[in-house]
Amino acid sequence: MILVRVEDRSGVLQRVTNCLARRGFHLLSCSVGQGPKPGLLCLWLRVGTGPQPPDQVIKQLSKLIDVVSVEDRTETDPMEWVTALVEIRRDGDEMELEAALQEPGVQVVRRLKDSVLAAVAGTPEQVEVRLGQLRRLPVSDWVLGRPLALGEGGAGQAAAVGNRQVSGS
Amino acid sequence: MCATALLGFDDNQREPAPARRCGAEILLRALEAEGVEVIFGLPGGANLPIYQYLPGSPIRHILVRHEQGAAHMADGYARASGRVGVCLATSGPGALNLVTGLATAHFDSVPVVAITGQVATPTIGTDAFQESDVIGATMSVTKHSYQVHDARDLEAVVHEAFHVARTGRPGAVLIDIPKDVQQQIVEGEPAQITRLRPHREPPAPSQELLMAAARSLAGARRPMILAGRGVAIAQAQAALLALAEHIDAPVGTTLLGTGVFPSSHPLALGLVGFMGTGYCNLAVSNCDCLLMVGMRADDRVTCRLDGFAPRAEHIIHVNIDPAELGKTLAADCQIAADAGWTLEALIKETPERRHPTWRRQVDEWRDRHPLRYPHNGRLQPQEVLAACYAHRLPTDIVVADVGLNQIWAATSWTGDEAGTFLNSGGAGTMGFALPAALGAQAADPGRRVWAICGEGGFVMTLQELATAVEAGLPVKVVILNNGQLGMVRQFQDDFYGGVRSEIEHSVIPNFQLLGSAFGCFSVAVTCQAELGEALEAAMAHPGPALVECRIDPEANVYPIVPFGGGLADFMECPST
Repeated sequence: MILVRVEDRSGVLQRVTNCLARRGFHLLSCSVGQGPKPGLLCLWLRVGTGPQPPDQVIKQLSKLIDVVSVEDRTETDPMEWVTALVEIRRDGDEMELEAALQEPGVQVVRRLKDSVLAAVAGTPEQVEVRLGQLRRLPVSDWVLGRPLALGEGGAGQAAAVGNRQVSGS
Repeated sequence: MCATALLGFDDNQREPAPARRCGAEILLRALEAEGVEVIFGLPGGANLPIYQYLPGSPIRHILVRHEQGAAHMADGYARASGRVGVCLATSGPGALNLVTGLATAHFDSVPVVAITGQVATPTIGTDAFQESDVIGATMSVTKHSYQVHDARDLEAVVHEAFHVARTGRPGAVLIDIPKDVQQQIVEGEPAQITRLRPHREPPAPSQELLMAAARSLAGARRPMILAGRGVAIAQAQAALLALAEHIDAPVGTTLLGTGVFPSSHPLALGLVGFMGTGYCNLAVSNCDCLLMVGMRADDRVTCRLDGFAPRAEHIIHVNIDPAELGKTLAADCQIAADAGWTLEALIKETPERRHPTWRRQVDEWRDRHPLRYPHNGRLQPQEVLAACYAHRLPTDIVVADVGLNQIWAATSWTGDEAGTFLNSGGAGTMGFALPAALGAQAADPGRRVWAICGEGGFVMTLQELATAVEAGLPVKVVILNNGQLGMVRQFQDDFYGGVRSEIEHSVIPNFQLLGSAFGCFSVAVTCQAELGEALEAAMAHPGPALVECRIDPEANVYPIVPFGGGLADFMECPST
């Protein structure tokens, strides 16, 4: 987990993501938010480095002119939060469906005629477990967001810009 | 209206009225303030406001025939002068034509500022005529880039761009200016850029680290130094020579480092790496302590990484860019600092040493593995280069293109003067030599500048011969014509089963007629006996000259390390 503080200038996210892509790194998740200091954005990144030395991420990002600081915050154990949306058909066992919707971390977003749309939120591990349980029901579609992160000196009002993973049932 | 009013003063006021200037004027004044003497450019629809005010500026403009040429010329100007080179293009295809030239400069840490016109601000993003996202297209080949949306920012942006281009590890910077911003009228004081991050000078290495490096060098029995262009950028050639003599260490150079150590010095081992000299590669492979200074550990230097310097107990890597340390090679002592500063510090901290046994061993390798080429009655490129270098003055600049010609030019190099051998090392851009030589010539009209090309690379940018004649840049172009893409042919022969595929140029222009058509002096050479007279005639001609040398089409570069091999696995010339 890397905390990057950047100047809030047009195109700065493109510069950061381009730098990672150019060097062959895999951006696993990215949370962006206004930091406590005016004019600064905080980016929480999870990056896969592949065969390259992990410190190259920090060294390469540090070279960008708009980057103010780069810190490896892996050791500070930042909080990660994941949200998933699940659409469950209502042609199965109604009792079992209602019981699943009562589980902690699951919230009904919308009830439709033929299905229920539920949100699942929690740490990545919690959501993985809960999704595993829900998949025993007749799931027609689901979307798993990339983790939001917040740690000490963190991103404030963070917003996810990571890719969505979409899968059919 | 009185004259003072025309100059911006009102008779009724004691203070001068605020200056009214458009963005194009602000840009030119800022470039003048940065000491820019020459711009290499090509006008087009989106940079015409700049050209409208250019005649009123003392800056010389050299009109190129293709924007790639402008970028290479700015690059050559910067490499030869040590100052920031500037090129100017219009939007869309004009801006995109700069990309190869910017990549070439950026790869080799050359300070270049490119200025591009852009479509007017309200039309950005509408796919307007000649619109291109040049910021996006150049993001990975520039150190930084700016799109200016308010002419009040221009002055500050220009100064910051020059600062970024020339400080730390130098590189290419792009300033994209929409046409309406060039025409925007500004009154009063310019805006300032407030940076939240101050410019970061590389921190001085700890004394502990320096002492560790000095201890490794002092304790070595077989020391070796490899030097790159960072030594030239730091103007640390004297410090490199002093340290090498102080610790009695042989010195090899990278392609870009050619010339940072005097080639006639007994410690000089020439080029290292993929096509380096056998004795240099053997010295690296057998040294017990290797100092790499002002260079990257790139694949053309190391070849197979786990076969690089296998007997070295200590590797000390010095580079001003921390990201280059540990990127490919895990040196046990990594120093992120200016090459000159570090070399000076190491001289102070390391005791003098002598290594007669090691020196004898290196000299034995030098005798056993000399640079060899066949003598088969055909004109050999090494003979051409020997004649060129015999005719050159010590201050002459040689710009090599890319391919076999580049390696022949580097391994034959006999110069002792720093900064007189230029080439495209990182990007390996064919077509670089002619326009870069024109840029070098523009930087110093008093010096003679040579361009060494193959015919394949030369035809990629030959249109700039018109620029040479028009701008009065009397470069001497030597074409090593082997009628084919020689390096590709050698790779196919040596490493790809001997299958010669698409390397032959069945149509080659008549270079004498071609040169004459552009107004250049032109001469052809077919044998060694004709070389002297042809080169003297070219040098005597006051303008640009073309010397076509029809060399042995089968001439190769040796030694060469097979793909996947280690440095010590080099193949030598099979015919001797």
